[in-house]
Amino acid sequence: MGRAVCVPPLVCASPSSFADPRDAGVNVGATWGDAPYPVLVIDRDGALVGLNAAARRLLPRGNGEGTRRHLVPSWLSAAHRRLTERAAGTVTAPLTGEIDERRYEAHATPSEDGAVVWWLIDDTDRRVAEAALYSSQERVAVLSAVSSRLLSTLNVPRCAEATVSMAAEHLAEAAVLVLPPQGRRHTLTHARRGHPVQRVVRRIDPRTVQGLAEALQGFPPVPARWIDPDGLPDWVIPEGFTGPVGSVIVTPLPGHGVPAGALILLRSGTERAFTEGEEVFARLFAARAGAALSAARLYTEQTAITATLMRELLPPALHTVDGVEYAGQYRPAGDEERVGGDFYDFHPGSESAQETLVVLGDVAGKGLDAAVLTGKIRNTLHALLPLAGNHDEVLRLLNGALLTTQHTRFATLVLASVRRQDDRVHVRLTSAGHLPPLIVRRDGSVEEVPTRGTLVGALPEISSVGAEAVLGPGETCLLYTDGITEARGGPLGDEMFGERRLRRTLAECAGLPAEAVVERVQMLAAQWIGAGRHDDMATVAVSAPAKVPPGSADREGAGEHGGRRK
Amino acid sequence: MTQHPATEFSLTTVSAPSTLIVRVAGELDYDTSDELVDTVAAGLARAPAPRHVRLDFAALTWIDSMGLSALLMVHRHTRAAGAALYLDNRPDVLERMLGHTNVLDHLTAPVTQDAPGPPKEGDVTGAVVS
Repeated sequence: MGRAVCVPPLVCASPSSFADPRDAGVNVGATWGDAPYPVLVIDRDGALVGLNAAARRLLPRGNGEGTRRHLVPSWLSAAHRRLTERAAGTVTAPLTGEIDERRYEAHATPSEDGAVVWWLIDDTDRRVAEAALYSSQERVAVLSAVSSRLLSTLNVPRCAEATVSMAAEHLAEAAVLVLPPQGRRHTLTHARRGHPVQRVVRRIDPRTVQGLAEALQGFPPVPARWIDPDGLPDWVIPEGFTGPVGSVIVTPLPGHGVPAGALILLRSGTERAFTEGEEVFARLFAARAGAALSAARLYTEQTAITATLMRELLPPALHTVDGVEYAGQYRPAGDEERVGGDFYDFHPGSESAQETLVVLGDVAGKGLDAAVLTGKIRNTLHALLPLAGNHDEVLRLLNGALLTTQHTRFATLVLASVRRQDDRVHVRLTSAGHLPPLIVRRDGSVEEVPTRGTLVGALPEISSVGAEAVLGPGETCLLYTDGITEARGGPLGDEMFGERRLRRTLAECAGLPAEAVVERVQMLAAQWIGAGRHDDMATVAVSAPAKVPPGSADREGAGEHGGRRK
Repeated sequence: MTQHPATEFSLTTVSAPSTLIVRVAGELDYDTSDELVDTVAAGLARAPAPRHVRLDFAALTWIDSMGLSALLMVHRHTRAAGAALYLDNRPDVLERMLGHTNVLDHLTAPVTQDAPGPPKEGDVTGAVVS
């Protein structure tokens, strides 16, 4: 009687009527009526001709007048039509569909008269469990991808970019990373899903976002539901983010002992709010990002410190001053470290009557410790420059400044005060525990400057004996560190370059300009070492320029050692 | 002029009445110098405290500036303990280094009866600057 009322998505598939399907007398056996699963019998024409108690409880009733018939869900009617249109006896795979927000699997048992008995099995819980398993597997995969991507860079901006872009991809529609302030400005890195990352540095007030000021201090995150999305300041919203913000998470990035920043995750009002599980996941994500970011920041700070120190400690460029040639070369032990234990320094006199002070030295040890001591020595000597007329006094004061009870790290060095008088160069030299300088005369003879003294920085009292030398045109005084004479190499690989070879090398340098002398000495020592390891090697040459061709002047043996002092 | 394979660094401590002998073999350098200082310091801490500390360098193959720095530190310890330091069987490499740096006399100076303690920061700067 009358057509069934269709109420999408549920339809009444029955064109005929019945008082009670149980009375329909369909020949499908009797026990199904008591089965714990919902069971429906639908005839060849799609009419619901039978259902058991469980099905009766499950299926909604239509609101037609009088009889409130049970309605068959549309997905099941469609499946039934597909089944009956095919040859009888064909077994089809189980189907699934939703009834009243739960999911059912429908298994069909066709009977001989063309009716089909449908068994419905509730698999909602299994699906929920499967989905949870899948999402947790996915999260593990995301976390491992996050770690490997973040840890592959030690660059803070790149790390920040990777963090927000992965957060926008896996956690939210948009993400903002707020780094700890530098001065009063914060670096903000914005990302919106599917869009390029943007970075700005600006002044912000972290207190304008609930929980952000606390997150930047490393306090635990505020739950998402406490944060009012309406109160968000403009700088939080990435450019192009349309629609109102629906839900927000602010989570700290824990660094190594100090907060590495805070991550703000945004979802628009049209998306679902963050669940508790997602908040926990966001915290896990933040922990990885924080570790990577703070590692990157520590590395960057370290590099900056080293670079600053190196700039201060790199040997100065030497040049000709008042007609006297100066040249220096320094080759650090590891080619990768530009600062080691050897050093030289250069303080040109401001006028020609004033002496130029050259210092070359060697600090015990290597690395940053040695670099710091080198810096201390160079600064102290710079300050003592007005006293450079008295080398003994300078060394005594330097020794006092370096002395400490903490260690016996010492330095050896040579002071050379240089002044030109006509075409001769007068050099006052004092060694403080260092190898004596060598002088190469124009005839190729090599002399050792007879100066000796105690190393500085370790003993309460020191003494030194200075020497004076005069260089004629084309003659050179070479200051060098033991890295040259103790360079190991040669044909057998473990022989020292030695003073004898150095003297022979110098003899060949007679008449050469200062630049050429240091170049040649360093080159031969480097060739001697070959590919082997070596210590720092520093050389400084002071030359009186050869203005006249050798041999044409009567300056042979022009230089001689002056009187000793002390 | 071949070089024998570098001898492994080793310290051998021999205790005689009132004397601590440490035989130093191999290379005394950046990597090994701390060990020498610690060994002597430990030897000096024994009771009865040795009056003489002899470092035997017969098997020393190499010393660098950190090695010399360690000898200076050893000397601070022996002087603080009132013990005399002797550097025995010095090979060329050590002799050269002690010569250039002018510290042999300091290291082997006889112990005076009123041996001063380890230099204190104030003492040291005061003594030198004044």
